[in-house]
Amino acid sequence: MRSPAAAIAWEFRRRHRWGLIALAAYLLVLATIKLLIVHPGRSVDFDDESFALVVVVPLTATFIYFLAVFSFGLSGDLAARQSMYPARMFTLPLTTAALAGWPMLYGTAAMAILWLATRFLAVWPSDVDVPMIWPALLAASLLAWTQALTWMAYPMPGLRVIVTVLWLSVIDAVILLALRYKAPESLMLAILAPHVPLAYLAARVAVARARRGVVPDWQGIFARLGRIPDVPRRRERFSSPARAQAWLEWRRHGRSLPALVAILLPFELALLFVFRETPVIVFEILAGVLLTPPFMAAFGAATVSKSNPHGSDSYGLTPFIATRPLTSASLIAAKLKATIRSTLAAWMLVLVAIPIALKLTGTFPLVIEWTHDLIEAVGTPRAIVIVLLGFSALVASTWKQLVQSLFIGLSGREWVVRASVFVALSVLSIIVPLAHWVSGNRFLMGALWNALPWIAAVLVCFKLSAAVWVAMRLRDSGLLSDRTILLGAACWDVVVFALYGLLVWLAPALLFRGYVLALVAILAVPLARLSAAPLALAWNRHR
Amino acid sequence: MTEPVINVSDLTRRFGARTALASVSLSLPRGAVYGLVGANGAGKTTLIKHILGLLRAESGSVRVFGLDPVADPVGVLSRIGYLSEENDLPGWMRVDELIRYSRAFYPAWDDAYAEELRQTFALDPAAKIKTLSKGQKARAGLLIALAYRPELLVLDEPSSGLDPIVRRDILGAVIRTIADEGRTVLFSSHLLEEVEQVADHVTMISQGKIALSAPLDIIKESHRCLTVRFAEARPQPAAVAGVLRWEGAGHEWTAVVRGDSGALRAAVAGWGARIIAERVPSLDEIFVAHVGAPADS
Repeated sequence: MRSPAAAIAWEFRRRHRWGLIALAAYLLVLATIKLLIVHPGRSVDFDDESFALVVVVPLTATFIYFLAVFSFGLSGDLAARQSMYPARMFTLPLTTAALAGWPMLYGTAAMAILWLATRFLAVWPSDVDVPMIWPALLAASLLAWTQALTWMAYPMPGLRVIVTVLWLSVIDAVILLALRYKAPESLMLAILAPHVPLAYLAARVAVARARRGVVPDWQGIFARLGRIPDVPRRRERFSSPARAQAWLEWRRHGRSLPALVAILLPFELALLFVFRETPVIVFEILAGVLLTPPFMAAFGAATVSKSNPHGSDSYGLTPFIATRPLTSASLIAAKLKATIRSTLAAWMLVLVAIPIALKLTGTFPLVIEWTHDLIEAVGTPRAIVIVLLGFSALVASTWKQLVQSLFIGLSGREWVVRASVFVALSVLSIIVPLAHWVSGNRFLMGALWNALPWIAAVLVCFKLSAAVWVAMRLRDSGLLSDRTILLGAACWDVVVFALYGLLVWLAPALLFRGYVLALVAILAVPLARLSAAPLALAWNRHR
Repeated sequence: MTEPVINVSDLTRRFGARTALASVSLSLPRGAVYGLVGANGAGKTTLIKHILGLLRAESGSVRVFGLDPVADPVGVLSRIGYLSEENDLPGWMRVDELIRYSRAFYPAWDDAYAEELRQTFALDPAAKIKTLSKGQKARAGLLIALAYRPELLVLDEPSSGLDPIVRRDILGAVIRTIADEGRTVLFSSHLLEEVEQVADHVTMISQGKIALSAPLDIIKESHRCLTVRFAEARPQPAAVAGVLRWEGAGHEWTAVVRGDSGALRAAVAGWGARIIAERVPSLDEIFVAHVGAPADS
């Protein structure tokens, strides 16, 4: 290696060679289509779906991949307070400017090249006037800011996600606004040009602070606040090992979700002051607030399911936890209890904050009016059930987000975690354009509607087969007793039947057949993936 | 005869192409201190992880107190005190929280003993684990491993990277545990002088195999160190039955001999050389002679 810059570049290249090879192959295919199959210079009328499938989806996936690669996001803990910049590089004989500068230079250059390659090689629909420079600059700016914000240390776990998403959204919003008002390319360039230098300065400060080991800490403030009513209890003994473990899980992961929701809520509800005169926007803001806990739970799930929160590179269970004299099922039960408390705490915040915000903004009458409309439309009992069911669905969905990937994270195998991410992205990259394609075709929509019961039936078969396999493995490995398995199955049946009963009562019989609602109820209540968590933990714990 | 505390039978473990343990068999009766010594990567931690149930036996079997540690983790782990080399105590916990949390798992937890240990180790109950020094963290780990007077104390490289004062605390804890009748200590280390101070029985492990396992007294009695002076300088003396290793240069060479040294004495006479010193070798010398490398290599 001739220089440190070459060594840093080599590390990116070597570590992500398969991703880069895949990208090169994709660009080669595009080039082949453009140069050989389609006549050069000829305009092509590609329909939206094909264009999405061929260009937009792979490009978006690569964009996200580059964000993760060049911010070192694939090997760090996104939710942690510490900087995600690899600590091993702090001891290299390099200036902080070089440590921040080289990865940023490589990242921004890669983003710009990705755009330019796509711009020249993609077979753009004939009516699309695609600009050249400013999108490259936008992509580079987004990457540079992602690097700066992920390399920064934060005073609270999870704050990195919020700050990064909010700041990138602000940049996007500014660009969308400029596009809406048909800003010329020179103005777009003027808006975007300062971003990379500013992000570089921010990244330099972030890396310098991380190099000195500076990690701000607000947890002490929250801990002191939480300690006030807790003083007498703190000295009490835990009545059982299970309670002690549940306490540990709550302290380790439980407070992240309520904290994230508490940080976001004031910003979201503050919008009510701005848009209180526009009922539609008020409705959208409230819907956004209600979706915040499940949305943030999806981020929180990564830390809950991580088996070793202390080592950002490690997926295995720490010996401290692995040698607790508890069964793997008890360790999972403690996690589940902590996630239930976490979900309830997050929703308590939402339920307290919404009425206060409605009262302060004077938008309460609007909500009362919508309630009256609902009662008039479906009657009081149904209206009550719809509201309760909707609320329960949101709470359950929050909890489900926290626990449904437990079995992946707790497996302790890096390849399982990475494969699940790859499969999820692959499925998404197929489903999104497919859904777009189907939604624009009446015939296909009709066929899909008719096939829905069959699709649901197939999914139910998969789910129940998986659940039976998991139950047998749980029984054979002695992780759960027959009684516990039967009790769990009975509880699941009761919940499914209750949900089915409610759905039958609510849904018009003409629109949905009874068996379709039964399939929906079976699919809605978690079973197989949740039951697989003790198996995954045991697989990790006893390697 | 009482049942052994640990019974490992024909245990083999592979990690990919590398064999970490090859047909290891070991039986540890109750009430003694067992030193497990070996170079880094020899298989000590792998063996200990099998004993704790953190690794599943691929072939062979592991029984602790007669139980399978994988099938019955609660039955086994509730009777073991374990201090890990990794020192992975949760950094966010305070010392008093760590004690409060740990005591919930062990019905035999002795509050008075825990407090005594805390004071002996000068651990501030309000201090967060992450703010403690490495030595203090080791002491905190030792406290929660000892406070319920476990039947089996497993220490995996406990003094690795620690200062002499903390090492003395750890050795003191081992000695106190031995003082409790019927308790057993399994002590893995590559600091052989420490093992020599406290172990009754030493098991040497090399490249996943047991190179030597015997009571320390017998090991010492069965090995001799003889220094030979040759009339002419030699690059390497010839191999002789019973000689495990030659070390030295030029005219003077030292042999570590196992068992009877008669063959060496006869050879020395035949070479026209003479034995100028004879002594009992240190455990370190015996280890190097058996595994062919210094213990901390």
